[in-house]
Amino acid sequence: MKTTFEEKDGKFVMYFEGRLDTAAASKTEQEMKVLYDCEGHDIILDCSKLDYISSSGLRLFLGLLKTARNKNSKVLISGMNDSLRQVFAMTGFTHLFDFI
Amino acid sequence: MPQTNNNNTGQWAIRLPNSLEELPRLSALVEEVCEEIGCDMEMTMRINLAMEEAVVNVIDYAYPPGTVGYMDIKATTVGKRIEFVIIDSGTPFDPTKKEEVDISLPVEERRIGGLGIHLVRQIMDDIKYERKEGHNVLTLIKKI
Repeated sequence: MKTTFEEKDGKFVMYFEGRLDTAAASKTEQEMKVLYDCEGHDIILDCSKLDYISSSGLRLFLGLLKTARNKNSKVLISGMNDSLRQVFAMTGFTHLFDFI
Repeated sequence: MPQTNNNNTGQWAIRLPNSLEELPRLSALVEEVCEEIGCDMEMTMRINLAMEEAVVNVIDYAYPPGTVGYMDIKATTVGKRIEFVIIDSGTPFDPTKKEEVDISLPVEERRIGGLGIHLVRQIMDDIKYERKEGHNVLTLIKKI
């Protein structure tokens, strides 16, 4: 699992590449910390190269969303494939996030 | 290839230590079983997800932190039916008893936990738990 962070047009963008399974979650959690300082910035989670997500990855996304909302920042998900959208639908995450 | 194969049935068995580093071995087993039975990529991914969640529960809860423990994972295919059995000798833990997650709650009320077993319930057709002779025996069934 590889993440890349960049600031783009005032937004925080994180690109996820590979499989976000339970084994990768701890390291990904550390890498996502940079997104938590999001006052004044919306966040884009680019999932175009994300092949797989399990519950620990979903937890990371939810945890980020809770913090972002408290800071009035939006969390947008881009490029999610159909398989992953189904996992989001199964867990009710589809109505929690905005998809672009 | 299944370890034993007889007409349209196949059987596999592996033993995993209770470590997240073993998840690739679990994925390899799932892929082999799914290929044998003719699952497409999406179905394989979903079954892999359910199995990862079930196995991670054993890794997290069955044995005391820091101790090495094992689980046996057996897979049997009969026609288009897959049965996985996960057996460990750890502390009694029935994942089927965990309460349902309310997925309609708004963000502020959504709890961080409980998603693993929820996914297993969503993906697999049947889940059975038994405590038998000091072992947790979890059976997961999928018909494709």
